[in-house]
Amino acid sequence: MEAELKTMTTKDKLIAEFESSKNSLFDNIQLREQALEAFSKQGIPNRKSEEYKYVNIELSMKGDFAFSSSKKLSAKQIESTQFLKDAIIVVIENGKFNSESSKVNSLPKGLQILTISEAVSDESYTKHYTKYADINSDVFIALNTAFASGGVFIHLAKSAVIETPIHIIHISSVSENTILNTRNLIVVEENAQVQFVESYETVDLSAKSFTNTLTEIVVEANAIVSHFKIQNECELGSLISTTQVVQKGKSVFSNHTFTLSGSLVRNNLNIVLDGEHIESHLNGLYLTNGNQVVDNHTLVDHRKPNCNSNELYKGIIEDKSSATFNGKIYVRKDAQKTNAFQSNKNILLSDDGTINTKPQLEIYADDVKCSHGTSTGKLDVDKIFYLRARGLSEASAKKLLMHAFASEVLDSIKGMEDLHNYLEERISKRFE
Amino acid sequence: MSNEVLEEQINSDYKYGFVTDIEADNAPKGLNEDIIRFISKKKNEPNWMLEYRLKAFRYWLTLDEPHWAHVSYPQPNFQDIIYYSAPKPKVQLNSLDEVDPELLKTFEKLGISIEEQKRLSGVESRIAVDIVMDSISVKTTFKETLLEKGIIFCSFGEAVQEHPELIKKYMSSVVPYTDNFYAALNSAVFTDGSFCYIPKGVRCPMELSTYFRINSSGTGQFERTLIIADEGSYVSYLEGCTAPMRDENQLHAAVVEIVTHKNAEVKYSTVQNWYPGDKNGKGGIFNFVTKRGICLEDNSKISWTQVETGSAVTWKYPSVILKGDNSVGEFYSVAVTNNYQQADTGTKMMHLGKNTRSTIISKGISAGFSNNSYRGLVRISKGATNARNFSQCDSLLMGDKCGAHTFPYIEIKDKTAVVEHEATTSKIGEDQLFYCKSRGIDNEKAIGLIVNGYCKEVLNKLPMEFAVEAQKLLAVSLEGSVG
Repeated sequence: MEAELKTMTTKDKLIAEFESSKNSLFDNIQLREQALEAFSKQGIPNRKSEEYKYVNIELSMKGDFAFSSSKKLSAKQIESTQFLKDAIIVVIENGKFNSESSKVNSLPKGLQILTISEAVSDESYTKHYTKYADINSDVFIALNTAFASGGVFIHLAKSAVIETPIHIIHISSVSENTILNTRNLIVVEENAQVQFVESYETVDLSAKSFTNTLTEIVVEANAIVSHFKIQNECELGSLISTTQVVQKGKSVFSNHTFTLSGSLVRNNLNIVLDGEHIESHLNGLYLTNGNQVVDNHTLVDHRKPNCNSNELYKGIIEDKSSATFNGKIYVRKDAQKTNAFQSNKNILLSDDGTINTKPQLEIYADDVKCSHGTSTGKLDVDKIFYLRARGLSEASAKKLLMHAFASEVLDSIKGMEDLHNYLEERISKRFE
Repeated sequence: MSNEVLEEQINSDYKYGFVTDIEADNAPKGLNEDIIRFISKKKNEPNWMLEYRLKAFRYWLTLDEPHWAHVSYPQPNFQDIIYYSAPKPKVQLNSLDEVDPELLKTFEKLGISIEEQKRLSGVESRIAVDIVMDSISVKTTFKETLLEKGIIFCSFGEAVQEHPELIKKYMSSVVPYTDNFYAALNSAVFTDGSFCYIPKGVRCPMELSTYFRINSSGTGQFERTLIIADEGSYVSYLEGCTAPMRDENQLHAAVVEIVTHKNAEVKYSTVQNWYPGDKNGKGGIFNFVTKRGICLEDNSKISWTQVETGSAVTWKYPSVILKGDNSVGEFYSVAVTNNYQQADTGTKMMHLGKNTRSTIISKGISAGFSNNSYRGLVRISKGATNARNFSQCDSLLMGDKCGAHTFPYIEIKDKTAVVEHEATTSKIGEDQLFYCKSRGIDNEKAIGLIVNGYCKEVLNKLPMEFAVEAQKLLAVSLEGSVG
């Protein structure tokens, strides 16, 4: 048996694990089986897979993995991951909702937070769950759908305006190599307004963790949603983070993704603009060093006329790290009068770093304005000279320029002062 | 308004769709080692060439047809193609008088008058032409004049006979037969093409040109062009192509290789006007071409300029490998698709040497039900210090049933590199049209003006002789198109 296990591929192991544990999973067995079939059809991506050609997923999924962890962190350890002064805290520890450390009692009116197992019978949950993230479109969506066990369902009632941000903290603290499949569903009904912060942390991690997280967000008509992702994992943590968003008419959605660390980070951000007069903003900042691999994939799918989308991703690449940006703007036949913009800028600081960018436009409507731009370069020597002529050391001149480069993305955070300050501090520390 | 004008444009006819009634010497249909031996024997090739063909063929058998391009078409039946078709009689032509008059008429119809060229003295005329009809080169002009300067300009078949050392050294050095599916197929069955060698320090006094014509039915055209520019030389090379109107899809799979040595420069311009198929997307040429140049040594330059208006399906990426330090690569392209045409075209710029520079300007125009994609790769390898790239890809959409796509790939492994890429997609602005119209320019002319202005950056790069043809072509396919 041992020997047999050794020769099994990661894919076979995952399938075997599903077969042995499927009876203990509580819901939707049929759906999960379908998802597993979709997973087995697509397989673990390798370098030849067009969508994953710049990240070596096979390597980070090599070896034996467990699928859950019984390790518990102390309340104090969990508290160390909180950086917002005033927030509704949802803690997901090793892929499971932690009710003790979460602060979800006495929620404001209109807000409902349930664990997935509690939500199974909820009407709104069953209406939306797995309806947007297509198991056949991406192997990690399929894998997540088959295995998803923890996570939360957040529901905002019509016209509910929540002032306090909701902070979802994903913590990995495993002591043996583990694959975690976390899944969240967020439904924001008409006219509601809310801000989410999702942060990914590793605390006391002594083995490799491979987190495959999927968040589906439904933004109904006229709703305003801001979504922040702060990725803070240590070098043992690999993260596949998929965000599937669907927006209805006249809604506003903005996503801000900050990748500060982690050995392998792959973000899939898919936004479907399924209504008219929608606004979408996508901002991202990635600061990579060491042997880090960061890969940001975004898809903006314009399905209806008169919508605007705006995308800005920036990165600073150091050491042997590699960063990839792959942004796609898709404008369907009916989506006339679309304005879609995309910009990706990179600074490469080291001899061994790599930048790959692939900004794509796929356009089937004629009355549109779409553009993308990307640039990669070093720090401008003229600018450094200017600052040095004014008495700054070379190091502090460079620091200042990098800070200015990053602040364009940082300053797109509006109305979230403590988050802004926290990130500002983190980024400044990075440049020292 | 818009429909009316669009209609007009869609109805504009393909002018080169006639068939020349000329007797042809065909190989039987199908593809196997015997056919390859047949072609090789017909061309009286040395053994090493046959060996090369067979090696390529055996490799090709192991490959699958590629499907990554943003085009869809029925897979060509490779056994249903005639791989060798030569206009009869194939005798060595000593003077133009011996050329079949039907053939001469054909080329006169196409606007290339060999007769006229002959009358002009070599000094005054600016173009030397190699004409390839179906599988063979029928005539090369000004060979002697060029030879005085040491320039070799002849058909590929002749070069194999007369300059085997050059062919052996350079053929397949830029595009190996293992490169891709269609390059492998071409390497196995190529029939003719042009060969050009510019010796050290020679600036070619006239434009060199190859004119490709598919005439016979059921054939495929597989030609190979090889251009070598030795130290300090310069040549400007033109390529044009047309085909008759037919209901069937004919396959054209060519390979073009360019090698530049120290301080040399090659400028390669194409006006591609294969038959694009009819209004309903029936017929037309499948144009699957591998074009690549290598700046082998320092300070050399390769520049690709293309105007793509024809073919039902185009799959073409003229590329430059910038190996020598300070070498320069350029790519200027206008691609127009109409009706049910599909084009997936772009370039690859591989920066290996220090201080290498590349510029990419691509202008796509799609109308009707067509799909037009730009696909390009800019790769800065580690050690390519101070490499610089600028890319601009603009798309213009006319009508709401067509698509315009951009798929750039940028891979950077050197911190001193500066790479910029911009792309826009839009239609002709109502305000631009209004501006022209309020100054008394009618709708059709206004659109012509705007489209011409939109493509100007690329058209300016074409040699005079071609710029006129290209502008006319654009006028035929797009004048009066809509915003």
